[in-house]
Amino acid sequence: MSTRLLVGGILVLLVVMGVFVWYLAGRESGKVGEVAQTPTIIAGGRQIVLLGSGATFIYPQLDAWAKEFSKRYSNVRIEYNPTGSGTGQRQFIEKVVDFAGSDPPLSKKNWEQARGDPRGVIQLPVVIGAVVMVYNIPGLEGRLKLNGEVIALIYLGEIEYWDDPRIKALNPELKLPHERIIAVHRSDSSGTTHVFTLFLYKASKGKWPKELVEKAIEWPVDKTGRGLGGKGNQGVTDIVRRTAYSIGYVEYSYAILAGLPWALVENAAGRFVDATPETLAKAAEAAYPLLPQSLEDDFNEAWENMVYPPGEDSYPITSFSFLIFYKVYPRDKAEAIRKFIEWINTEGQNYIVQGYIPIPEIVREYNLRAINIISEG
Amino acid sequence: MKYGRKSLHDKIVFYSLAIPAIIIALILLLLLLTQTSLSIPIFNVQGVTSTYISTTWRPSYEPPPTGAWYGLLPAIWGTLTSAIIAVLLALPLSLSVVIFVEEILPRRFREYISAIIDLMAGMPTILFGIWGLSFLGPILQAYVMTPLHEYLGFIPVFSCKPLAPATVLTAGVLLSLMIFPFMVVVIQETYRAIPITYKEAGWSLGLTMYEYVKLNMSMISPAIVSAILLGFGRASSETAAVTLVVGNAYNIGFCILSPAYTISSLIANQFTESGDFPYMQNALFAGGLILLIIGLIVNTIGIIILRRLRF
Repeated sequence: MSTRLLVGGILVLLVVMGVFVWYLAGRESGKVGEVAQTPTIIAGGRQIVLLGSGATFIYPQLDAWAKEFSKRYSNVRIEYNPTGSGTGQRQFIEKVVDFAGSDPPLSKKNWEQARGDPRGVIQLPVVIGAVVMVYNIPGLEGRLKLNGEVIALIYLGEIEYWDDPRIKALNPELKLPHERIIAVHRSDSSGTTHVFTLFLYKASKGKWPKELVEKAIEWPVDKTGRGLGGKGNQGVTDIVRRTAYSIGYVEYSYAILAGLPWALVENAAGRFVDATPETLAKAAEAAYPLLPQSLEDDFNEAWENMVYPPGEDSYPITSFSFLIFYKVYPRDKAEAIRKFIEWINTEGQNYIVQGYIPIPEIVREYNLRAINIISEG
Repeated sequence: MKYGRKSLHDKIVFYSLAIPAIIIALILLLLLLTQTSLSIPIFNVQGVTSTYISTTWRPSYEPPPTGAWYGLLPAIWGTLTSAIIAVLLALPLSLSVVIFVEEILPRRFREYISAIIDLMAGMPTILFGIWGLSFLGPILQAYVMTPLHEYLGFIPVFSCKPLAPATVLTAGVLLSLMIFPFMVVVIQETYRAIPITYKEAGWSLGLTMYEYVKLNMSMISPAIVSAILLGFGRASSETAAVTLVVGNAYNIGFCILSPAYTISSLIANQFTESGDFPYMQNALFAGGLILLIIGLIVNTIGIIILRRLRF
C-alpha cells in the first residue's frame, strides 16, 4: 500500500515540476529566424574534420565561428575542445590536433620545439581578451576607480578595508564603507590569472613581485583569511555576486553576462578607463605595433608588452588570445585551414558573440598573411 | 562454505563469481600502487615530511625546491576540520532521526521517512554543492556564523569574522547533511536488529522512554562508532560539493569561519592543467595518497567495529 502511495506521490511531484518548468521556459522561447545560405564545397567535396583544443576563453567565439563556417562550407567540420591553454599547447606539440587555442602564446620552450619541427608553427591573435575588476559593495553609488598599485595591495592583503586612504584617494566622491575587502581569485590554473598578475606586475610600481606572475600562484591574501578561490570565470563571478564587500577579476564577457558592476582602471597614460568595446579595440590598436614582424616569430615578449598597453583611451588589462596553426598540412586540410583563417578575419568578424569584440582592421590584415604561409605537404 | 565434491558446474560458477571479487581487490591494490609511485618524484625533491607539513603551495615552471614548492598541510587540515565538523553535527542529527522514526513515529509513516532518507543518501553530491553555494552558505553567514562570531568570538574557533558564505563551517554543515542519511541507515539497521525480547524486557522493568532509549543505544554503540567513522570517511573524500563551498583559499588556522581548502578540492581545481608545472601533478598524487590512507584506515576500523557487534 505504502509503496504505491509513495510512487504515486513522486509521480505527482514530477508532473507538477514538469508543468512548472514548461510554463517558465515557454515564456522565453522565441526562435530566431535563420538566413538560408547556399553552401560552398571546397577540396573536392571530401569530408574534412579540423580538430582543435585549448583555451576555454575563446571557446564560445570559436564555436560560433565553427558553426557558421560549416554552414558556408558544408564539407568542413571544426571541432574544438576547451581543454585549457596548457593542454592545447601540449596537444599541438604532440600533433594530436590540427590547431590549438591559447590565451598566452606558445611558451618559449614550446615555440622553439614547434619551430624546429618540419611542420613549423604560426600564431594568430584572433580574439581580444580583457580582464575586468568586478565588485560587490552593497549600497555603493557611483563607479569605483582603481589602479594597478591599489589592486596589487588588495591582493597582497596589505589594503584591508574599503575605506583605506589609498582607495579613497582615487575615489574622493564615493562613500566607501568601513568593511573588510574579500579578494576573489581563480582556484584553477588560468590564462586570465596570467594576464591579471602580469598587469599587476607592470602597473603596481614594484609592489607586485615578478615571482607572482603565473597562471596559478600562491595568493598572499589567502593567508589573511580574506582570500577566496573560485573555479573558472563562472566560479569567481558566482562568489563575488554572493559575497558582500568582495572584489574579483573575470573576463569581460562573463562580467557582462553576470550583470555585476566593474571598476574603472587607470591605464598607462594615467586615465581611468571603463571596459567597453571601444576601449578594448583602442587597446588592441595600441598594442598592434608591438606585435612581432612575422606570424612565425616568438610572441612571448610581444604578449607581455601588450598587457597594460599605451594609449589615452586603452583599457589597461587587455590581451590577445591566439589560434596556433602548423605551416604545413595535408592538401585538403591546408585548403580548409586557409579558408577558415580567411573567413574569421573577414566575414567572421560579423559573427561576434556577445561579450566579445571584433579585432581591429590592422590586426585582421596581419592575420591574413597566414594564407600565404600555410602550404600543402 | 564447504562443499563435499565439486561438480564441473559448481567450479564454473565458483570461478566466474570469484573473478570479479579478485579484480576489485586488485584494483584497490593498483590504486594504492599508482598513487604511491606517482607521488614518489615529489617526495624525492621535497621530502615526504616537508611535503605533508609545509603550508606553502607555490606553482612555478622552475621545479622544486628552488622554484616551485608544494606543501599539503593546509589542504589536509581543511579536510580534517571540515570532516570533523560534519561528523559532530551529523551524529546527534542521525541519532534523533533513528529514535524518532523507530520509537515515536506511527508505524505506517516509517516507510516514507526511510524512502526519503534513502533518496537523500543517493542524491548526486553536486546538487548539494550548488544548493550550498546559492542558499545554505549565505543563510549560514547571516544567521549562524555572524552571531557565533559576535557572541562567542572569544573562543578561538569563532575568532575570525565570517566575511564570506564559503568557509570551513559551511563545508562542514553541508557535509553533515550529506553524510547523515548514510549514518542513519547504518544505525537504524542495527537498531532494528535488537532482539524484541530485550526491548520487551526493558519495557517490563518499567523504564521511562529516556531510560529505554539509552539502554538500546548502549547496546548498539559499536554501530554508532562505526557510523561515525564511515561518515568521517565519506566527508573527508567528498569533492564536488565541498569545492563549491569551502572557499578554496590556501589558508591554515584554528578559526572555522574563514575560507580554506581540502585535498579533494585542491585536486579538482588544479589537476586539469597541472601537467604544465613540473612536479605539481606528483604533489596532487601525494595528496590523493594521504586521502586514500585516511580513507582506508577509517573505513577499516569502522567495518571491524561493526562486525564485532553481536546480540
